[in-house]
Amino acid sequence: MAGWRIIVIEARALVLTVFLLILSAAYARRFGIGKEISLAGTRALVQILLLASIILILFEKPLFWSFLVLILMAAIAGHTTYSRSGKLEKGLPIAIISIASASLLLLIPFFLIGIFPLEARYIVPTGSILIGNAMNVSSLAIDRYKGEIKNRRSEVEAYLALGAKPELAAATCLKQGILSALIPSIDNMKNLGIVWIPGVMTGMLLGGADPMEAASIQIAIFTSIFVTGMIASSLVLHYSTDSFFTKAAQLREDMD
Amino acid sequence: MNHVHLELKKVSKAVFRKVNNTRVRTQILGSLDLKVNKGELVTIMGASGSGKSTLLRLINRLSEIDSGIILLNGNDIMSHVPMELRRKIGMVFQVPVVFRGNVRENLIFGIKLWGGNSGIETLASDAGIPEDLLDADAGQLSIGEKQRVCIARALANQPEILLLDEPTSSLDAVSAQRIEKLLLDLRKERDMTILWVTHEKEQVERIGGRRLVLRDGRLEDYRD
Repeated sequence: MAGWRIIVIEARALVLTVFLLILSAAYARRFGIGKEISLAGTRALVQILLLASIILILFEKPLFWSFLVLILMAAIAGHTTYSRSGKLEKGLPIAIISIASASLLLLIPFFLIGIFPLEARYIVPTGSILIGNAMNVSSLAIDRYKGEIKNRRSEVEAYLALGAKPELAAATCLKQGILSALIPSIDNMKNLGIVWIPGVMTGMLLGGADPMEAASIQIAIFTSIFVTGMIASSLVLHYSTDSFFTKAAQLREDMD
Repeated sequence: MNHVHLELKKVSKAVFRKVNNTRVRTQILGSLDLKVNKGELVTIMGASGSGKSTLLRLINRLSEIDSGIILLNGNDIMSHVPMELRRKIGMVFQVPVVFRGNVRENLIFGIKLWGGNSGIETLASDAGIPEDLLDADAGQLSIGEKQRVCIARALANQPEILLLDEPTSSLDAVSAQRIEKLLLDLRKERDMTILWVTHEKEQVERIGGRRLVLRDGRLEDYRD
C-alpha cells in the first residue's frame, strides 16, 4: 500500500512539474524566451529522473562508481565554467581541477568525522551540491573577472608599465571578481532561516527528520558550499590570470 | 659624444580594429626607423590614429612589434625581461590612472616593487605635488594633480627613458603648461631621454627638442 502511495505522489509531482513548465513557457513567450524555458525545463526534468535512476543503480554498486559519477559531474561543471569564461586558453583543465579539488576537499570531512555514513546515498547528493555551487560561483567569478580586466584595461596597463607582473596588475580585478561572485552566497548566509529554508533542510523536514538534526546538517552543508565556492573560484581565477596576458606580460588585445 | 640610447630599425606593426563587428587588420607602422641619443628630447606629432601611441607601446613592450628590431643601449629589447625593461623605460599615459589608495601609496608602488631609493617627499616635490596632498585619496584629485602623481610614480622607478603619450591633452591650458615645465625641468635634472607624443603644434614649438612627425607609418622631420 505504502509503495502505491509513493508512486501516486511521484506521479502527481511530475504532473505538477509538467503543468508548471507548460504554463511558464507559454507566459515567457511574450518575452521571447518561451522556447528556451521549455528546453531548459525539459532538460531539467529528464536529467533529474536520469540522476535518480543512476543513484538507484549506484546503491547496488561499489563506492568507486559513486566517485566516478562525481568526477563526471565535476567535468561537466568545469566545462560550463569554461564556456562562461569565453573558452580561455587552458581554461577547461583549470576549471575542472579547481571545482573537483575544492568540492572533494570539503566533501571528505562529512565522512571523516561521521556526519554521514560512507554510502552512495550520501556521497552523490552531498558531492553534487558542492560541485553545483562551486560551478555557479566560479562561473560568476570568471565572467566578472574578465569584465573587470576589459573595463579596467588602462589601469592594468598602468601597472604593467611600471614593471608589475600580470598577477599584481590584475589583482584588483581578481578581488572584485571573487567578491561579486560571493555576494549572493553571503546574502543567503545572512538570511538563512529568516527569508528561506534551504533545500537540504526542506528535504529532510519533508522526509520526517527532526528539525534540530535537519538544521545542524543544513548549516554544515551550507558553510561547506560557501567555502567550496570560495576556494574553487579563487583557484579558477588565480590560474586563469595567465590566459589574459601574453608571455611578454602584455594584456591580450584579442579579448572578446 | 652622445651615444645612441634607443634605436628602432625597420619596425612594422599592424593592429586589428573592429569595424561592423569584424576585425579588420590595419597597418599602422611600416619599416619605421628612429635613433635617439642619450638625454635627447624628441617630439612626435601626427594625426589621430597615425600610430603615435602604438609606437610608444612598442618601445616598452606593452605591445609587440610584427617585424624589425628595437635596441636599448645597443641590445635588443626582446633580450630584456619585459618587467625589467618597463622599469627602465617609464611611460606616462594620456589619461592619468591613479591606483586605489592615497598619493603616498601610489608613489611608493615602484619603490616597493623595485627597491629604489627615491624619497617620497623628494619625488612629490620634484613633481610639484604639495606635501599636504600626500595623504589625500588619489581618486579625489583633479586631473592635473593625478597626472603629476602618475609622473612622480613613473619617476620613482628611476627610468632611463620616459615615454610621454600626450600627457597634457586632458588638462586645461594652465595645468598643461605647468606639467610641460615640470617635465622639461626633470629632464635637465635627471638627464633623461624623452619621447614626447603630442598633437599640438604650439606645444612642440614651446618644448623644443628634435621634431618628428609620423606620417604613413614612418617618421619624418617636422617642418612648419
